[in-house]
Amino acid sequence: MKLLLNLLKTPMFVIGTTIFFGTVLVALFAPMMYHVDIIARVGMPYMPPGKEHLLGTNHLGVDMMSLLIKGLGSSLYVGFLAGMIATVTGTLLGIYGGFKGGWQDDFITLITNLFLVIPTFVVLILISSSLKEGRSLALIAGIIGATAWTWSARAVRAQSASIKSRDHIALARVNGEGTLKIVVKQILPYLFSYVFMVFIMQTASGILSEACISMIGLGPYDTVSLGTILNEAMRNEALGDGAWWAFIPPMILITIIVFALNFINTSMEGVFNPRLRK
Amino acid sequence: MLKRYPTVRYIVTRGGWYFLTFLVAVTLNFFLPRMGKSNPIDIIMAKVGGGLDTKAAQAKEEAYLKEFGLVELDAQKNIRRSADGKPVRTPVWKQFRNYVGMCLRGDLGTSFLNYPKKVVDIIKQAIPWTIALQLPTIIFGWIIGNVLGALAAYRRGIFDGVFFPLALLANAMPFFAFGMLLMYLFAIIWPIFPAVGGYAGNLVPTLSWTFLSSMAYHYILPFFSIFLILAGGQAIGMRSMCIYELGTDYVKYAKWLGVRENKILMYMFRNAMLPQLTGLALSIGQMIGGALITEMIFSYPGLGMALLTAIQGNDYPVIQGCTLLVTVSVLCANFIVDILIGFLDPRVKAGIAGGGK
Amino acid sequence: MPIFEVDNLHLHYLTRFGAKIPAVAGVTFSMEKGEVLGIAGESGCGKSTLVNGCMGLFIPPLWPTSGNVRVDGESIMGRSPKDVRKNILGRKVAMIPQGAFNSLNPTRKIKDQAADMIVSHESNVDKKALYERLRQRFDLIGMETEKVLGAYPIQLTAGTRQRCVIGISTLLDPKMVIADEPTSALDVTTQKAVIRMIFDLLDKQIFSTMIFITHELPLLRHVANRIAVMYAGEFVELGTTDQVIFDPRHPYTKALMGAMLSAEPGQRQRKPVAIEGAPPNLAYPISGCRFAERCPQVRPECRVNKQEIRIVADRQVRCDYAE
Repeated sequence: MKLLLNLLKTPMFVIGTTIFFGTVLVALFAPMMYHVDIIARVGMPYMPPGKEHLLGTNHLGVDMMSLLIKGLGSSLYVGFLAGMIATVTGTLLGIYGGFKGGWQDDFITLITNLFLVIPTFVVLILISSSLKEGRSLALIAGIIGATAWTWSARAVRAQSASIKSRDHIALARVNGEGTLKIVVKQILPYLFSYVFMVFIMQTASGILSEACISMIGLGPYDTVSLGTILNEAMRNEALGDGAWWAFIPPMILITIIVFALNFINTSMEGVFNPRLRK
Repeated sequence: MLKRYPTVRYIVTRGGWYFLTFLVAVTLNFFLPRMGKSNPIDIIMAKVGGGLDTKAAQAKEEAYLKEFGLVELDAQKNIRRSADGKPVRTPVWKQFRNYVGMCLRGDLGTSFLNYPKKVVDIIKQAIPWTIALQLPTIIFGWIIGNVLGALAAYRRGIFDGVFFPLALLANAMPFFAFGMLLMYLFAIIWPIFPAVGGYAGNLVPTLSWTFLSSMAYHYILPFFSIFLILAGGQAIGMRSMCIYELGTDYVKYAKWLGVRENKILMYMFRNAMLPQLTGLALSIGQMIGGALITEMIFSYPGLGMALLTAIQGNDYPVIQGCTLLVTVSVLCANFIVDILIGFLDPRVKAGIAGGGK
Repeated sequence: MPIFEVDNLHLHYLTRFGAKIPAVAGVTFSMEKGEVLGIAGESGCGKSTLVNGCMGLFIPPLWPTSGNVRVDGESIMGRSPKDVRKNILGRKVAMIPQGAFNSLNPTRKIKDQAADMIVSHESNVDKKALYERLRQRFDLIGMETEKVLGAYPIQLTAGTRQRCVIGISTLLDPKMVIADEPTSALDVTTQKAVIRMIFDLLDKQIFSTMIFITHELPLLRHVANRIAVMYAGEFVELGTTDQVIFDPRHPYTKALMGAMLSAEPGQRQRKPVAIEGAPPNLAYPISGCRFAERCPQVRPECRVNKQEIRIVADRQVRCDYAE
């Protein structure tokens, strides 16, 4: 609890959380206040922002604002889901390997290191390009999560292994407490803050990965995300035409969200790791 | 014998491990694209067919199937058929075996889109551009980013206060977004630099001054897109590492001893670099990926564009060829960095020599 | 003329929220050449903080509040960092830090670290002569020179590293050496080797005066001429070794002696008695005696009146009621 208060005193944390939750709120509630329609052609292609359409139109004449709001929701969703998948998988594997030790640990470490080195970008392309139809948001999140878990597994495993060798665990063992009880009472509280930071990193990286993969044309098939908006802009020469409203807003949104998440993480690191205090 | 030379043992151990990874990568490279249900030949058929009657179309299809090793052949190199006259498809594991054989011979297949052009030829055309762009960018970006990070950690104060948020911003922006931004600002709004291509469209690659200067001109925006983001990311990491090193016992002791500030900085830099190198090994994959996407944005005629065209046109052999190449490069780079770390950090060699993990 | 004088030294820690925590509150003592002063006390009483503030070099968050420190009559406070680094550190005062065996740069050979130290203080040093000098010195202090000098810290045992640090700290023959818990966390055999080395250095006149910090009083009996007992940032008793160990006058010192396991003849049957309670939190202002909460002889006046140093039985005691 004291940690939470300390966090709230840190300006970085406050700024980061405000921005992030701001975008989430926009994604959730904007459709109620603003008529979101990503199909209807309401104007000429690449109309600049005006009174009627605050952010102009895209190459088909669809309202950019609607696209942006819908896309924001999709990207946040994918990032969050991918982050969850990557963190949960990685954490479970990491805790198991780090705490159990022995050949299980060796095996998990081997697999983790293997997949760490193989570039995820490559794997993403290979998987996505083969799944032509039915690339839903959830599927993409699944793919991203399935390639990103290695990072969290490695990080959590290192923490678990070091916790395992700490004295208070040995004491608990000597006292005869069961493995599960040890895990829950001693290890989890320590790990929780760490895993939470890992989760934030994974969400941020999930959002970036989704943007990357959508931008090169391997994104969700049936819906809009911030990455697909950028892809369309690229494909339809929006840059050349000077239609900045077609790509600058999604770009800014992605940057802001990832920036906010990074802020949250850095501030948490500053509070949890006293050596970073000046 | 190996036990007596810890260095050799280290290199061999790491090399062996990378070879294993390579095997896994090749397997993945082959099997992942085949996860979907699409029949790759359909793409070629769509391109070439249409207008032909069914008999001729079928013959053509079978010719392609034969060419791409998707059907079994008998001793006379004719297509083996099952009882109802349909061609017998090669089982996947056999396809894989053929694939590995081909790769070892240096043949990565034939492009679907640019049939009958070979994948290797497409890659050979694109590779020089990619290497010319990415190699200097990544190396310089890494070095300068780390130096700036170290400075920020040591000086703190205003430099750190201004620099750090900027670096955080740079880190948050995806590579391609920054590329798009630069392109928009400096090629469209203020048309100082060209927006696309590796050289001016009306020129032909020669060793003339005109061509070379055009190339240089087109080089600048892509270079800075990658370089600035890369350096920003490195700076942030290095800054954290340096702050950590500055608080260690050995730095405190060196201060107690009265060791000169420059020397202490050197201690800090050398020791902070080690985890950065490890980080480099891990993120080389990402860096190259990001650089490739930047190439795509600027339509720079490198591997990125080849890959993008292939993806958009469902040209599987080219996709596979590019990804295999990228994976191999990343593995090689990792291996080199691992060896470098082994030389620079005595703790690593001691760990291996002692038989520990 | 005393070789080392500390004059009403006050030191504080600066927290990230700007608060100043007084860690050392008015310590005064002086040392003559050839003297070994032991400083003993519980963990957290300020021993390390005190000596960290006696070097002239302040590493944040530790800062001086007031007071002076003089070496050979020359004040070392308030001088420029460059001046302190070049002239005082390593030459006049040398520190053997706590956890010395972890104080070596893991990626640098021993001889290079030692060389760094010398090169930072002397100009125009010839490399070959320098290494020869190192070799001679390490031979002199009884280290396996060839094996140790060319090694990385990770290749040496903790005890060897500790002795390396002692050797490096004293390379320039400092006037005054501060050893902060040089034997803690080492096994008994290694402890003996370290002590033997220190005596050897004293014998060979490499340095003559030393402050020896430890929380083990019995160790001081073999090493120190005088002992200062520290509690909550203040000296509570300062006297000769025999006085402090066998005839303690301050209630805290008495309790400390009673809490020791002793192998002395006639003492083995005695059960150690723990001191109840914990030291006061220095973040909050303290009125009266700092030991009042735990003192077995506490009186109501103790909690109100600040205790000053008095002379009782030929030594300094910070207790109005000790005798």
